[in-house]
Amino acid sequence: MCFKNLPVDFDEAGGARLREGIPDPYSVATAIPQVEQTEEEREAQIQRLMAQNGHIKDLNMDPVTRVAGALAVHVTADLKEGVYLDAHSQATLFRGYEVILMGRDPRDAIFVSSRACGVCGGVHSHASAYATEMAMGLAPPPFGTVVRNMGEAAEMGYDNPLHLYLLAGPDYSEAVVRAVNPELWPKAEKWSCAGQEHHGFKTMADLMTALNPLTGALYREGLEFTRLSREMCVILWGKYPHPQTVIPGGMSTTVTPQTLNEYHSKLGRIFDYAQRLMAVWDDITEFFYDADERYKEVGARPLSVIESGYWDDPYAYDATYENSDEWGQRRWSTPGVVIDGELVTTRPTQINMGWEEFVEHSFYEEWSGDRYATDPLGNPISPYHSWNKRTLPKPEGRNWKEKYTWATAPRWDRQVVEAGAYARLLTTALAQKQPPNDFIEATGHSIKMRIPKGLTPEAEVEWHIPEQWNCFERNRGRAYHYVMSQLVGLASLLEAYKLTKQGDTRIAAMSPSELERNIPKDERRGLGWWGAGRGWLTHYLVMDRGKIVNYQITTPSTINASPRDPWGQPGPYEQAVMRTPIIEDVSDPSKFTGIDMLRAIRSFDPCMPCTTHIHTGKGTVVREVNTCSCGVD
Amino acid sequence: MATSVAQKTPAQRLLDVLGPVDRWHDHEEIGDFGMPTRAFMEDMVEPLAKAGLGSRLGPLEKVHAFWFAGMSCDGCSVAVTGAQAPSVESLLMGAHPGLPRVVLHHPVLNVESGPNYLRAHENALKGELGAPYVIILEGSISDETMAMAGTERDNYGYWSAQGEEPWGRNGENRIVSTDEWIARLAPNAAASIAIGTCATWGGIPSADGNPTGAMSLMDFLGKDYRSVFGVPVVNVPGCPPIGDNFNETVAAILYFLQGFGPLPEFDELGRPAWLFGETVHRHCVRGAYYEEGTYAETFGDPECLVEIGCWGPVVNCNITSRGAINHVGGCMNSGGACIGCTMPGFPDKFTPFYKRPPGSLVSTAAARLLGSFVKPLRRYTSAHLNREVRWDLHNEVPSGWAREQSEPSMVQGRGTSSTT
Repeated sequence: MCFKNLPVDFDEAGGARLREGIPDPYSVATAIPQVEQTEEEREAQIQRLMAQNGHIKDLNMDPVTRVAGALAVHVTADLKEGVYLDAHSQATLFRGYEVILMGRDPRDAIFVSSRACGVCGGVHSHASAYATEMAMGLAPPPFGTVVRNMGEAAEMGYDNPLHLYLLAGPDYSEAVVRAVNPELWPKAEKWSCAGQEHHGFKTMADLMTALNPLTGALYREGLEFTRLSREMCVILWGKYPHPQTVIPGGMSTTVTPQTLNEYHSKLGRIFDYAQRLMAVWDDITEFFYDADERYKEVGARPLSVIESGYWDDPYAYDATYENSDEWGQRRWSTPGVVIDGELVTTRPTQINMGWEEFVEHSFYEEWSGDRYATDPLGNPISPYHSWNKRTLPKPEGRNWKEKYTWATAPRWDRQVVEAGAYARLLTTALAQKQPPNDFIEATGHSIKMRIPKGLTPEAEVEWHIPEQWNCFERNRGRAYHYVMSQLVGLASLLEAYKLTKQGDTRIAAMSPSELERNIPKDERRGLGWWGAGRGWLTHYLVMDRGKIVNYQITTPSTINASPRDPWGQPGPYEQAVMRTPIIEDVSDPSKFTGIDMLRAIRSFDPCMPCTTHIHTGKGTVVREVNTCSCGVD
Repeated sequence: MATSVAQKTPAQRLLDVLGPVDRWHDHEEIGDFGMPTRAFMEDMVEPLAKAGLGSRLGPLEKVHAFWFAGMSCDGCSVAVTGAQAPSVESLLMGAHPGLPRVVLHHPVLNVESGPNYLRAHENALKGELGAPYVIILEGSISDETMAMAGTERDNYGYWSAQGEEPWGRNGENRIVSTDEWIARLAPNAAASIAIGTCATWGGIPSADGNPTGAMSLMDFLGKDYRSVFGVPVVNVPGCPPIGDNFNETVAAILYFLQGFGPLPEFDELGRPAWLFGETVHRHCVRGAYYEEGTYAETFGDPECLVEIGCWGPVVNCNITSRGAINHVGGCMNSGGACIGCTMPGFPDKFTPFYKRPPGSLVSTAAARLLGSFVKPLRRYTSAHLNREVRWDLHNEVPSGWAREQSEPSMVQGRGTSSTT
């Protein structure tokens, strides 16, 4: 592979090095990405249109509801032309979790950082465990990894339907469609659903009625299935959303035949539901495409994604950075970067080399100094890499040209990429690297999945790579991801039975007293590559003298909700809104609801709690601002 | 009554800076923006949720609930969606017999966004809601005066915000912090309820290093706070809380207000006494191991977890009896040591985690001593009870599963599977 923008070359043996003779190789003025439209051009265009058109509205949607956490979106909409000229995504919360982690015992990282997010606390526990394990040199025994995979499949079992039915679903419900797209309703009443045999709805109108918030059958069933999957989580974790049994080097779960059987029995009820879920989101997608081609542009973005990999091969994972290309590429979901549909790399170390985070438009001060010029293998990394990040939170007034959000701008090779459960399907489908198994097959252009029989017959289903992302393909992808995750759960459960049969049920690398004795005193780095319901999730840990000296989290919504970067490239939400046509009838401007933009944003499954408390460094505690006469002591 | 500056609560100090408000969004101008159903959630649900006179068991027909996610992770919201006693959908649909329907204003659940989502909040401030309201806070309160310091008056910096209102000096929109909403709404609320350890006791955002001045709802509103019904802040802690603990507390208050339920009992910290009056250890499924002096040595072991960092004997929590969701799970039930997440001292009085609580040294040693007497006696009796009377008479056990076991004595016999 080669980088397009970063001045990093590879020698014949695959080793990476900085191109010689470049004085400041990572300066934002040195490696400049190709930008479609600069801020100045965009601004000039808006001014020109403003002058000639009275239908331009400047509106701030704050708060955007039916997303997790605090999100606002500012838009400039041209109602006459039906386009969004500008968009700014704002994360409106900062909590300072990593400030709180500074100086703590590394054993505390899992429990503290899990609290970063209550929608997906389990994934944070695990990412933190991975980061801690790499730093401390702890490889969990296979049974520990298998039990992790089971729990993490169950977490997706709750997370995906929560989004599809409680958060996104109402946007496609009768209540919304009849209000904002009344022209579609007569068509929906006549449109026969191809998936009727699975979900039971004869017409699209019937299906849309079932999506109505609170009263709809699909809404309520979705809620029930999130509960069932959470029961599976707490069998293994004690509680949810913050698991009590994820520990450095494995798990502390007491696994008995009852544990496995209860998990098994609940999982058995899910596959029927999974078939219904996929059929619903296939039908919604096909209906809207059929009704109006313009829906393909709602929330559209190219196939440019980043994925960290998810669910380990229990026999490959050894917690080392040195072998991460080996064990990382054997995950159930393949790590990778895809740019415009092309798979650029699947190697975790290369993904890591291209990773940077920028704060030009975020409520933080620039940091200076770089602790690390290379990764542990000697590959160059940027001073903007998360291991080097020292961010100073600085609340200030909002200014669209300057700082307007608590989220930062992560980029890969200085290009805008998006994260998502569907991104996981894309990298996995293209890479064809997942472990041999009976249920999931990557074909290079699709993923085939074999769903076991429940009350409904067994089925083989196939997810195809779409031409581009849009709100429908994201939601449909999430529905197929639900199935994939549950099949990983089943395969892992079978592996747990096998290990139990062999008597190989050691679940943690060390006992608590050994753990205490083995806290390294030298400087160590860890990187927890993991996945969330929304895709990519990484925790970065630096420890020294037995204490945490830097902790950074980058979440999928940090990536997706990112503001402009130093070159004016908008983040994925912003790009998606600006591509979205205004299809709803706005001949009366007071009737403008913003539904098309809301469908676009919600399809990413925004999850803001863990997006916005993430950056720190020593000295972040800004006591000097506390000089207001009314301030606390 | 004059109050000196020193006695002012953080909420009063914030409002002193921000001043009173009397301007509201022009909803004609905003139109349907952010409201894709062209109707408020409340009005959409009302036809199905409103009870007829025949099924009203008390004076209240509906209660508004304003849910604020302050410096939160949304985990409490997630926990509440898991509740079953009663479920959130039954409360919202008026489907829990005798209770008023709850008109919930929740950023994760509502259909309307933006200024239209905030309309009911404005009505509550104006006193035009037409029904009592409660406020619910999930997540810590931040010290917004810290974030505001040094920034422009009508474009303040903030830590945690929800929406904009035309509260700038010249009627321009400015960002409204979650704290400001709470400071303004709490005095006229029927109840102010803190859910989860961040809102009840500050939680992780207020832990050592706390850069945002994070604090609890009680800290923010102060000791003298009373709702219009005369109630101090109600606290349902846990990180996350058990969803049923919260919904049950809300229901218990409503049962009382409707006239058929007893006055719910709260402890001296405002916790529902029937839920937090016991330690987690008293109902622990592994508790009897403690009594016998048998402790887990490593992760995954089935015995009492106190020597690998469990604080259960001193933590007020009911998760071992109630489970986490639908009576499934529970920390120790599945192998997790208690880290005290329901407690005001969480997290700093419990870290580093996985280290045995220092206070347990004496008690576990004492329990070991006692256990060395109790355990053999119990084994003896258990073995006796594991034999039919007939087997005793014939002096044989016709089980193909193990060698025949003689009547154990205090000297020999380890359980029922060994004779030698």
